[in-house]
Amino acid sequence: MRAAQDCVVPASERELAELVGRCDAAGDKIAVRGGATLSGMGFPAERADVTLITTKLTGMMANQASDLVAGALAGTVVSDIAVQLAREGQFLPLDAPRPQYATLGGTLAAGWRGPRRHRYGSSRDYFVGSTIVLADGTIARAGGMVSKNVAGYDMTRLYIGSFGTLGVLTRANFKTIPLPPHARLFLAPLPEGTRERACAQLAALGIAPAAAFAVDGFTHAIDGDEGAEGRILALLEGSEALVERATRELRSALGRAGVPETHVMDAGAREAFERVVDAYVATLGERSITYRLYPFPGEANRCASELQELAQRFGLRSETIVDVMNGDVVLRVSDLDAHALGSKIESFDDARHDVRPRAQVVAGDHPNRAFLRVWGAPPAAIERMRALKERFDPRRTLNPGCFVGGI
Amino acid sequence: MLRERLVEALGEDAVKTAPEDLAVYGFDAYTEGGTPSAVVLPASTRDVAAIVKIARHCGEPIVARGAGTGLCGGAVPVAGGIVLCFARMNRLLELDDRNRRVRVEPGVINLDLSLAVGPRGLFYAPDPSSQRISTLGGNIATNAGGAHCLSYGTTVNHVLGLEIVDAAGDVFQTHVDEFGYDLTAAFVGSEGTLGIVTSAWLRLLALPESVNVAVAAFDDLDGASQAVSAILGAGILPTALEMMDAVITRAVEASFSAGYPTDAAAVLLVESAGFAEDVGAAEAAIHAIAIEHGAKSWRSARNQAERDALWAGRKSAAGATGRIAPNYYTQDVCVPRSKLPQALRAVEAAAAANGITVGNVFHAGDGNLHPLLMYDKRDRKQVAAVVETGNEILQTAIELGGTISGEHGIGWEKRDAMTRIYSTADLATMGRVRDVFDPVGALNPEKIFPSGLRCAEVTPP
Repeated sequence: MRAAQDCVVPASERELAELVGRCDAAGDKIAVRGGATLSGMGFPAERADVTLITTKLTGMMANQASDLVAGALAGTVVSDIAVQLAREGQFLPLDAPRPQYATLGGTLAAGWRGPRRHRYGSSRDYFVGSTIVLADGTIARAGGMVSKNVAGYDMTRLYIGSFGTLGVLTRANFKTIPLPPHARLFLAPLPEGTRERACAQLAALGIAPAAAFAVDGFTHAIDGDEGAEGRILALLEGSEALVERATRELRSALGRAGVPETHVMDAGAREAFERVVDAYVATLGERSITYRLYPFPGEANRCASELQELAQRFGLRSETIVDVMNGDVVLRVSDLDAHALGSKIESFDDARHDVRPRAQVVAGDHPNRAFLRVWGAPPAAIERMRALKERFDPRRTLNPGCFVGGI
Repeated sequence: MLRERLVEALGEDAVKTAPEDLAVYGFDAYTEGGTPSAVVLPASTRDVAAIVKIARHCGEPIVARGAGTGLCGGAVPVAGGIVLCFARMNRLLELDDRNRRVRVEPGVINLDLSLAVGPRGLFYAPDPSSQRISTLGGNIATNAGGAHCLSYGTTVNHVLGLEIVDAAGDVFQTHVDEFGYDLTAAFVGSEGTLGIVTSAWLRLLALPESVNVAVAAFDDLDGASQAVSAILGAGILPTALEMMDAVITRAVEASFSAGYPTDAAAVLLVESAGFAEDVGAAEAAIHAIAIEHGAKSWRSARNQAERDALWAGRKSAAGATGRIAPNYYTQDVCVPRSKLPQALRAVEAAAAANGITVGNVFHAGDGNLHPLLMYDKRDRKQVAAVVETGNEILQTAIELGGTISGEHGIGWEKRDAMTRIYSTADLATMGRVRDVFDPVGALNPEKIFPSGLRCAEVTPP
């Protein structure tokens, strides 16, 4: 591992392409970076001679709101896109953590999957066109600025989640949907023995919440008072009439689960939701490592409990967020200081791998993060993925070693 | 030699080489065809792998085929070879209704899947007009759309994972939830040029609580298309927003009595589905916008039977044009929605200039035009006029910032048009994916990539 020598912030796509092509020819390795909000994901680069930062490539392209398609340069900040779309009553549900800093390109490259995807779909469901700079400096476009396009291979989706290892995204075009006009957040502490039932009730609601979480820990970062089994947060979104009906359904569902008190807020509901998403990647400096796992919704609570017990066996403190609707489990393990964490985290990771191999590290500044299975078990088609990398970036110029299987 | 080896591996009845069989499987719904060396009906993934290995050994290309409803020649064995027909691989393998997903073989017919899972309150969203006959394998190969893409997206949004036999005859799996490159997305819409899908995990959706289908009639196409823009601009997203002109509604009514007004220049078919509160509100708002943009009548279907009749008429519209001319050619382009009025005017102008009758029946909410150009293919002058009209429409779509195929695919027909929307570098980048999965170009050759650029030439050094 070598620290990046130079930071370069290209001001145009052409400048970026020239830089990448030059580095490739010279054998220099490039670490690609957006807003660095997801820098806790992936392996550290094997080598980085240049850090390429995309934050100067900003701006949005759109015709009319009724086109329901817009585009943005890769360095555009996610919250800026949200604000601009909201002016037209439109919405792109990316659910990126720290959206004031996150760039569109970085969020896509990391393949970020938000908690509202069960309702609105994930980023791969929205992106219809892209421009990418390949390792040899080639600028290549794919797809277009229309909602349906089957002209050629779906390169854009191939780039989403590729962690910058096939090329550097410089622009992406996406579909939008109408911004849900109303949002309401429910907060409730979970008394002893209610967590499992509350989650089951939430998952079975006729009008599915836009997002629902069972949270244990993350005090200060996430709103709400803890009960004996943590707390529950549910975000309702939609028309006023629908949110009213969903409110009645949710109240009686929580009542059936034995969850008595509920705090309801309309103002600040989405901000409170965003604080949960931010917590997915919030670190306690070098004292913590955060995993994200993707069991089916019905298994999520069991998965979270298993992992909490495991952490306890290793003397690690654990905090969890269970995404009730999608089944994702976020597990943050921590210790008193970096040294204490460092002495345990690798053996914890081995034990974790034995029980739940499909896990991803999403945050953590501890140097030992480099020795963990940050992408979990390799995917079934790993050899074909290596072949694809070889064909797109034969000299391993872009983010070398950062991705699955050390791609 | 080829026949003997195939028969040895799969049995006599899985291999067809009689001239009449070869002639039938040489065509899809495109006008031109080819002649395969053999047609093979595999019954399992293992069969497919065996066929690929035999083909490779004999130097024969392979063309995987669904139901042959594709309009762009995607299933035509242009370079001969083996045509794979999936009629025997039509089983629903696993239904996981708790997690709303299902695993199917590629030969399952699209509509059969929704019929099978309907009793459990679920449905499969992509619904191309061909859904009564087209197969899920073919839908995956073309990333098929349908009338409900507006809110549900296209096939790629509903494929969770694939089992694939590659060009070497090896089997592998992809899944969208795995970390790593999204190979599932690369394969959906690759028109059989990267590998052969032998099973797929698909996403199912819960049937909506409430559905409303209404028809608005307009005196001109412009008013109808401006209403489309206004509806979408007002933050309303119907589940379907379809347009038909008078040529089509008259043909449909004459054939099926589906319930469309025949005295209007254009009708909009609008479906809203979801929760009762939202569906009612959407209907009222859309009704108001339609009237504001000159709708002269509005009718909501009163029950399931009326809704089904309207949809059946819409989905059979192309067939109904048989009353107008012996043949039709469907163009498939997509433009930004705000450019719909311009695009429709250009379609009318191109058809008029070439003396061709045109019927418009299309996914207005997606900006996805399907002008049906009526002709008699025995008349060479009419054929030439249709080709010219289709070409002008394609060019219009490109100039309006649109694309050359919204949902039918590129296939054989449109591969040379790819250079009109993509640079050599863009195509060469796609070529890199092809290189990895099918380096010798044995899978569905002569498709997608322009004919002037052989695979080696689109590939950068």
